[in-house]
Amino acid sequence: MFLTKNDHQPIANEASQAAKQRHLRNAVLGLCVMTAFATIAGFSNPTFTTVDNLFVVIRAASMTGIVAIAMSFLTISGNLFALSASSLGALIAVVFAVTTSSFGFPIGLALTFGVAVLCGLAQGITVAGFGNPIIATLAFGTVFRGFAAYLSGNSIVRIDSPAALWLGTARPFGVPTQSWIFMLCALVCWAIIRHTKLGRQTILCGSNPHAARASGLNLAFVTSSAFVFMSVGTAIMAILNVAQFSQAKADLFWGYDFDYIAAVLVGGIALSGGKGSPMQAALGAILIALLQNYMLLNGFSSGLRMTIVGALVVAAISVFHIMQGKVR
Amino acid sequence: MTNKENLAIGARFALMVIVYAIFAAQLQSYYTVAGVSALLTSAVLTGLICVGVAITMIAGEMDLSVGSMAALSGIFSVIFFPLGLIPAIVLATLICTLLGAIQGWCIHRLNINSVVFTIGTLIGIRGLCLFISGERTALIPFDRIAETDVLVAKLWILTPLSICLIVTFIVAEWFMSRTLWGREIYAIGGARDEARAAGVSLKRPTMIAFSISAGLAGLAGALLSLRAGSASPLSYETVVLEAITACLLGGILLSGGRGRLLGVAVGLFTIRLLVSGIAALGAPFWMQNLAVGALLIIVIASEAIAKIMVRRRELMSTPDLIR
Repeated sequence: MFLTKNDHQPIANEASQAAKQRHLRNAVLGLCVMTAFATIAGFSNPTFTTVDNLFVVIRAASMTGIVAIAMSFLTISGNLFALSASSLGALIAVVFAVTTSSFGFPIGLALTFGVAVLCGLAQGITVAGFGNPIIATLAFGTVFRGFAAYLSGNSIVRIDSPAALWLGTARPFGVPTQSWIFMLCALVCWAIIRHTKLGRQTILCGSNPHAARASGLNLAFVTSSAFVFMSVGTAIMAILNVAQFSQAKADLFWGYDFDYIAAVLVGGIALSGGKGSPMQAALGAILIALLQNYMLLNGFSSGLRMTIVGALVVAAISVFHIMQGKVR
Repeated sequence: MTNKENLAIGARFALMVIVYAIFAAQLQSYYTVAGVSALLTSAVLTGLICVGVAITMIAGEMDLSVGSMAALSGIFSVIFFPLGLIPAIVLATLICTLLGAIQGWCIHRLNINSVVFTIGTLIGIRGLCLFISGERTALIPFDRIAETDVLVAKLWILTPLSICLIVTFIVAEWFMSRTLWGREIYAIGGARDEARAAGVSLKRPTMIAFSISAGLAGLAGALLSLRAGSASPLSYETVVLEAITACLLGGILLSGGRGRLLGVAVGLFTIRLLVSGIAALGAPFWMQNLAVGALLIIVIASEAIAKIMVRRRELMSTPDLIR
């Protein structure tokens, strides 16, 4: 019942011009909030505005952002979000470390993406049949984490690959590789959602699944593709992480799921599906990274940080929900 | 209760007996008094929580914040312990019930997807746990630890905790099937629009369901923390997985309105027997979570297949549509 509550929206056939304007407005609003926050933060703590710190924020935002961008496909296709991303990241990290240390970097990379696509397909097909992404991904998450522990023998797997090290630590044109990939992901995903057939189908499935089914769309295919996008995004993040630190273990990214979800939610992508763009998830990730960084610099305890992020998420979903005018 | 329902619960009971038999063949602790007592007590945490989760699922909603709620209650119960054992448990449970009522009110008022909202509160309450406890494990003063001994007392295979679990199941089953408030929860889960048309207010059942789930999570957290003499702000993170698996295995429908708490009890013990058995056979700790996850995927997959079969049968029985 709770998943189909918001299904009865009017078909999203309003002029795409209006939609574009709304997205632009949202993005501008987000940028304003971020600039205002950064200015206030900079005044109250001078370390916040140093160049070094900017790189720290960008790199932190990149890692969360890549997953958040990928997860926005799920949200836009009406499947809320996945609780399995952090566990999948750990599994992918272990797979990448194991395959790279035994077959070398290129084959390792290929095998890892193969595993990611398979994991995405498995989740997508299950969710398409069962209908509740939260519970399905909760289950898949534990299984992924278990496999990660099994594959790594529950110990640290180290890799020794110059190519991987370059990928993880290089700074082409002075910007970390992670951030280049983050920007690239944001652009590519935005283009997929806005300018391809699959993107259009994803939006329709999210905004009105009944209409999508009636017009002959294969909902299972769209859901599966959204999950594959999510898995591949997670894989990119996990590989970058392994490359940066040259090691992987099964308890990597423990508890990071909420950061990814928080980025998507704070970005303001409509949870009923069909509205929003991957760019919003990217902006959400940057906002969360700025906030986290500011709180860290001011020595907030981890409990207080978590409470504030949680409160921000609850406030964000409530406000966006009220703005949509669905309140009793 | 119809015959069909009886049959479904019977089949689930048979599955539980099979799991029991498989492990009992290899493990002595599955039929000794001490072993059974330990099994019952180990089911208390998940058991109390899954009653609450089941009630929210019957209402067609979902409460994912129970793990954080239990941890919060554990910390409160240790803080209130100087007032005495029973007042500490009651106070911690009451605070959680109140938080749950607020949560239910917000979900009703905002008309928001409860999965999403409770994910937000899941993060927030976990942060609150860390904040209140100062990121340390809260401990009962060592010179007063003897006062908690009553919680580990044993009466044949029963302990105060397992008695609490059994009483909760009986009271909850009575509440859900015999009282007006319980029937309202079934009504808004099974057929929300029809229930509203018939004049059932959505506010009361929603608030009651979320109060019960938070309150029971609070009770579980308080009991377990006081029994252990300490409460960690990071505990009970994975309990929601087991609770949801127990509910689905026990025949609670995710779409709401269906399922009985008797079935949930069967589902709960199926899982506990499986997990304890795996642990007792000496498998590594991650194996337990893997087993629960795999079990949940099997339940989900079989439900998905059943759904497809039903849809196909409906299509077959309406020949006009095909031609």
